[in-house]
Amino acid sequence: MNRNGILFWIGATLFLAAALLMTQVIGNQYPFFAGYVILQFVVLAVAWSILGGYAGYVNFGTSAFFGVGVYTAVFLAKAFGAPLAVQIATAAAIGALMGFVLGLLTLRMQGIFFSIATIAATIVIETTVTNWRYVGGAAGIQLQRPMVTAPFDNYVQMLFFVQALLVVLAVAISRYIQNSWIGHGLKALRDDELAAECTGVPTLRLKLVACVISGALMCAAGAPAAMYLQYADPSSAFNLNYSVSVLAMSLIGGTAHWAGPIIGAILLGATQQLLTVTISSEVNVLVLGVMLVLFVVAAPQGIIGLIRKVRRHRSEGEA
Amino acid sequence: MKRRTFLGGTIAVTTLGLASRVDAQQPPIKIGMSMPQTGGLAGGGKASLLGIEIWRDDVNAKGGLLGRKVELVVYDDKSSASETPAIYSKLLDVDKVDLLFAPYATVPTAPIMPLVKQRGLLLMGNFSFQVNSKVQHDMWFNNAPWGPPDSWPDSFLEIAQKAGAKSVAFLSADQEFAQNLVVIAREVAKKRNMPVVFDQAYPPSTVEFSSIVRALKAAKPDVVYVSSYPPDSAGILRAVNEIGIGDNVKVFGGGMVGLQFGAVMENMGSLLNGVVNYNSWLPEPKMYYEGTKEFFDKYTKRAVEAKVDPLGYYLAPFGYASGQLVEAAVKAVGSFDQKAIAKYLHEHEMQTIVGPMSFGPDGERKENAVLQAQFRGIVDKNIEQFRSPGKQVILFPEKLKSGDLITPFEAARK
Repeated sequence: MNRNGILFWIGATLFLAAALLMTQVIGNQYPFFAGYVILQFVVLAVAWSILGGYAGYVNFGTSAFFGVGVYTAVFLAKAFGAPLAVQIATAAAIGALMGFVLGLLTLRMQGIFFSIATIAATIVIETTVTNWRYVGGAAGIQLQRPMVTAPFDNYVQMLFFVQALLVVLAVAISRYIQNSWIGHGLKALRDDELAAECTGVPTLRLKLVACVISGALMCAAGAPAAMYLQYADPSSAFNLNYSVSVLAMSLIGGTAHWAGPIIGAILLGATQQLLTVTISSEVNVLVLGVMLVLFVVAAPQGIIGLIRKVRRHRSEGEA
Repeated sequence: MKRRTFLGGTIAVTTLGLASRVDAQQPPIKIGMSMPQTGGLAGGGKASLLGIEIWRDDVNAKGGLLGRKVELVVYDDKSSASETPAIYSKLLDVDKVDLLFAPYATVPTAPIMPLVKQRGLLLMGNFSFQVNSKVQHDMWFNNAPWGPPDSWPDSFLEIAQKAGAKSVAFLSADQEFAQNLVVIAREVAKKRNMPVVFDQAYPPSTVEFSSIVRALKAAKPDVVYVSSYPPDSAGILRAVNEIGIGDNVKVFGGGMVGLQFGAVMENMGSLLNGVVNYNSWLPEPKMYYEGTKEFFDKYTKRAVEAKVDPLGYYLAPFGYASGQLVEAAVKAVGSFDQKAIAKYLHEHEMQTIVGPMSFGPDGERKENAVLQAQFRGIVDKNIEQFRSPGKQVILFPEKLKSGDLITPFEAARK
């Protein structure tokens, strides 16, 4: 393992230790409620970026994957009383399968057509769940949380830590992809798919791999939301807001590097949480849009792009 | 003036002054809530909030609750269930509010029910539907007039049966509230031995209803129960207006959301005539209780500034009533002890501007107070007409009745 790799894993361990320590030290519940939402967006943004960033395939179906994750957990909890770990693992498996099928069906379409197809998938799946009475149908379903397991004395604290684990998992995978042949192949097809194909890059296979991994992570991120809310209804679980927010987070953070979506998700997620309990009005919703427009105009490469630009200027200046 | 009287008076005035200064120094009593101010439920949420704000101003003008000023802490939940857990945790753990009100509607309320039950807190519900049936929290009080779950569609089908209707058709939106209603309506129809000749749910995004209405007409039902959302309510009535619904339909309507809101009613105008639909409050003579008129005088003035429903019949007075419930209970028990307030609310009939309220063990109203009213003599593009009595004639409940049903529906439309 190179120096960067060691540093990354030290960072990840420190992050998890800090999250665990928080659950043991802080008695106030609010940081965990708000922190959970931010971490959830980090996982979603990182997952989105694997296909949307590296391969440049803009996926509007985040809410479809997220919602399927939520409803997988709902179904397992209702039918078998399955524990959280099983809910997440099954959601990831279903997400991978869904990514594979959706990928096979839609990845042959390029550019805007792929995006439209992912929106359509969201609507199809939402309508199906809306009519599935067993999981509550259109009326939604209330869920009872099981007893919390040690060392946590509160379920939300446990969910917060579980989501922190998912963050580490998602980031590690995303980082691996970026540095491996998969990432190089995806970058090649993002720049010019035809040229990549001609030079022997297995484009469809690579896109499928990205779609499967991205789908699995998004679904996994959605699974704990069922127990977080203790309620699920199709309009909240499949809310298009997830797709839009995650897209904005990734773009604002920058999609060229694995750290971009993390920065974007923390920045926007925290801003949203803060605005909800301060300004708390239409302005809240407006901020996302305004920030997105500002970044698209002023920093199309996102925050990561800005940092790189500043660094380049500095090194040029030194030279 | 005698010296003693003067002295007594001076002491009394000084003591009173001191006492009121103590009151002024006491921290305000904080009531926390989230309210949909953006998203699909925002129209209702804002009107409901204005009702609660009017109560706050009224109670503060009277000296507050037990001498403490009432302050509202309100956050926007964007009409979404996913926002409310964090908001209510902030209200409780950071803002340290003294009492909780629920947001308007079922979806944002559902996720906070387990939270308040776990922490043993009082929650004043705001027009949600059967949100406590699974959680069974004994400190929950819903201000909505629904009563027992089946009573609502039951009153509509009772009116229809009395008018000689036998077969029934259901048309419902595939959405939370509409589905809740129609599921119960189906059970009621079965109980009343009314055969279902048509039963269709449509996706919420449907805008064109002519084919559905044609199919419905072909089934020749005696009564049509519609549970729809504002945009589709308009679409359905337009289609019915163009195609007609057939002479055998005696009663049409039931659970159409939107026909309670000023802007929608103004927009629909004469299309509304003949429809029998649910409502919560209407300006009919028997609906006025102590304070009702004063409330609407204030609301009408402030609604313009707040840019909310100019009529505000459906939700706003019930927001005010929630405040009244807390106010009366706090005064009676003489403290802010939530258990004592809940006990008092369970045991007493409360007087509010929307009439007396008493609660069952599940925190829902003991008696069904949902109105069924028929639109009469409505003209196009005039919102002011809805302020006068006789435009929505109350058919149910019996004690509030202000007229008789005109049937069949085609005749009532004219």
